[in-house]
Amino acid sequence: MKSKIKSIYEHKYKSLLFIPFVVLILAFVQIGTQYSVTGDFVNKGISLKGGSTITIDYDAKINLDELESFLSNQFPLADFSIRTISSAGRTTSIAIDSDAQENDEIDILLGVIKEHTKLNDDAYTVETMGSSLGDSFFKQTAIALLIAFFLMGIVVLIYFRTIVPSMAVILAAFSDIVVTLAIFNLTGIKLSTAGIAAFLMLIGYSVDTDILLSTRLLKRKGEIMSKVYGAMKTGLTMSTTTLSAVFVALIFVQSDVIKQIMIILFIGLLVDILMTWIQNVGILRLYLEKKKR
Amino acid sequence: MKLKLKKVFTNWKVILLLIFLVLAIFSMRPQILGNDGVTIRSVAQNSSAANAGIENPSAKVVPVAKEKIISINGKKIIDLVDYYAELNQLAVNRSVRIETNRDIYNIRTTQEANLGLTVYNAPTSNIRKGLDLEGGTRVLLKPEEKISDEDLELTIDNLKERLNVYGLSDIVIRAASDLRGDKFILIEIAGVTEDEVKELLSKQGKFEAKIGNETVFYGGKNDITYVCRSADCSGINPNVGCSGSDGGYACQFFFAITLSPAAAERQADLTRNLKVLTEENEGYLSDDIVLLLDDIEVDRLRIGASLKGRATTDIQISGSGVGRTQEEAVTDSLQNMKKLQTVIITGSLPVKLEVVKMDTISPSLGKEFLNNVLLVGLLVILSVVTVVVARYRKIKVVVPMILTLLSEIVLILGFAALVGWNLDLAAIAGIIIVVGTGVDHLIIITDETLMGELIYDWKKKIKNAMFIVIGAYLTTMAGMLPLLWAGAGLLKGFALTTIAGISFGVLIARPAFAAVIEILLKE
Repeated sequence: MKSKIKSIYEHKYKSLLFIPFVVLILAFVQIGTQYSVTGDFVNKGISLKGGSTITIDYDAKINLDELESFLSNQFPLADFSIRTISSAGRTTSIAIDSDAQENDEIDILLGVIKEHTKLNDDAYTVETMGSSLGDSFFKQTAIALLIAFFLMGIVVLIYFRTIVPSMAVILAAFSDIVVTLAIFNLTGIKLSTAGIAAFLMLIGYSVDTDILLSTRLLKRKGEIMSKVYGAMKTGLTMSTTTLSAVFVALIFVQSDVIKQIMIILFIGLLVDILMTWIQNVGILRLYLEKKKR
Repeated sequence: MKLKLKKVFTNWKVILLLIFLVLAIFSMRPQILGNDGVTIRSVAQNSSAANAGIENPSAKVVPVAKEKIISINGKKIIDLVDYYAELNQLAVNRSVRIETNRDIYNIRTTQEANLGLTVYNAPTSNIRKGLDLEGGTRVLLKPEEKISDEDLELTIDNLKERLNVYGLSDIVIRAASDLRGDKFILIEIAGVTEDEVKELLSKQGKFEAKIGNETVFYGGKNDITYVCRSADCSGINPNVGCSGSDGGYACQFFFAITLSPAAAERQADLTRNLKVLTEENEGYLSDDIVLLLDDIEVDRLRIGASLKGRATTDIQISGSGVGRTQEEAVTDSLQNMKKLQTVIITGSLPVKLEVVKMDTISPSLGKEFLNNVLLVGLLVILSVVTVVVARYRKIKVVVPMILTLLSEIVLILGFAALVGWNLDLAAIAGIIIVVGTGVDHLIIITDETLMGELIYDWKKKIKNAMFIVIGAYLTTMAGMLPLLWAGAGLLKGFALTTIAGISFGVLIARPAFAAVIEILLKE
């Protein structure tokens, strides 16, 4: 069985290349559909759309559905959504998202919630974001993402001085981000400002493995497949350590902010394995083969 | 083996790392010998504590060096519980003896169970905890119209002044701008409730000057057209100068202002009917001019007799400052002068501010977060150790790796303490990320030296490894730099910790690791 997989990987790399590209196209389809249905290519959370989040400690006596319908009845014009935050399998807090932005609106809302849930006077957290700020932040970090890609392209070109391998690295990072975004959309989680930072981090991680692969294949002597397997051993160790660290943080951390960063990194690192070891390897092998001739 | 260890500790890269580690620990000053006492966060104006001489702490002092209470009436105070237990027993008009790490104060209480002090448990190190970990309020303000950088600075000075008036000094107010060029003001106040901040910001910043309960002029450009700040019409009064003796010195300052004709008329009307009193060969009017900020008196000045009934637009404002030496007195005078100038110039804010973001985090939740983050950090390190041990199974590789990772964390925290950053959740996320990439690079370095082709030249092996590491480093930096400004710098803490972390890693910690590996594994 193992030798069969190995054989396919070594000889059928051109057909294997279809997989990452098909996944990439599917990702574009998801994002495109999302855009045409909701007007945005990602589900935006409060920090990007504007509104407020009131977070209170979880109390098993509180019935969440009942709370949500109670609030919707009290404030029929507001847009509510209630979600829970858990850590290590236990629910630890309840987050109430709404589009209330003005201080007085939030005060009233807070008063109602406190009374209804018999809340302790100061055991809550409130975060508000004006919608214009959220909007401008989103646009600006999207620009930041583009600038990062551009600079990365320059660095990689200076390092390898050849077009095809450099483009392969950038393509791998790009695919990583697009596919991660699509999968993230499918989870239904709403993106926050911290989540965008996570995407920028993903560029760094993704590039680590691709530069490792490209350096080993282009700048070392030896037979191609042994170089690939050598790079894979290192690369998979790297991905495994980061994945386990991210996974542990994901399960145990209580903060919403850090959780979202870890979810995006987790998905992104898994996608990166596909993009580096099948897509990037495939392209590099095609390039080296053409070069030999 | 002993010989190898000796080589490790005499290698310059390792020595460099050790020097930085010592510096980092020194700047953090972890209070291992105990952190008994409660640190003073602020002193309310005109409170019994202020009257006894307890000063409002300056924001520039590092957390560990701030003044803290160690005993009340002889009873040792270890934490907040002790403090409040003692405080609640205090009745009105009693004498209380408070001992701090700097001095002993005798306070006469004017209220029950309230000395006018806000305190918090003495910090365990110099690392400043951001709002997410300590609780407090964060507000992001946007000027409603475009204003110049100068006006932005004036607004910030004014806000600082007003916050100081309320006795709040442990605050961060700074200008921020985003990639679009929009300007913002970010205010972070630890340990303060949302209500207190809202009250502060909802006030228009009313400045008035009154004579005998009638308003003469308001602050701002309408009534006061010019305030002198240059040396030719402001500073220490050359005619009066400083005077004093061994007991103390006092200096007088002055600065010129120009009133609008309307304000000058009002002043003439109000002073016309006042009597002239003569004191020490100088004539003063029977009423003082009182300067009020948000209805709280900030200063009271005598009115020179020559101004009685005269509508002059050019007025000189004078006041004084004191000190134990002449130098101290001069500094105090100039500080008082600047304070007064700021209040008068910007009596009302030059532009209306809009609250675009406000976060309140309760202190108990903040502490919960901190404990959780520390736990997660520990678990993350454990999981990394597990994978590394499973892959390499060599103590000579695993131990240096773990030590290098721990050093990187110490270096970032030390740097944060030195620079005075507030560590918030985003910054901590940055630290977790740095540990992640740190491990990646250490694995790359290890593999390059253990496997690879048959090169016996160690220098070349290390060079190859660092080539990859630096390439990845530069690209990550490129990704983080735009975050310093994007969205009014809301993710600045994250970007800064990541940039600092990977820089320390790539330039100091990881090369040291490479050197150690080379020495330990070379046959």
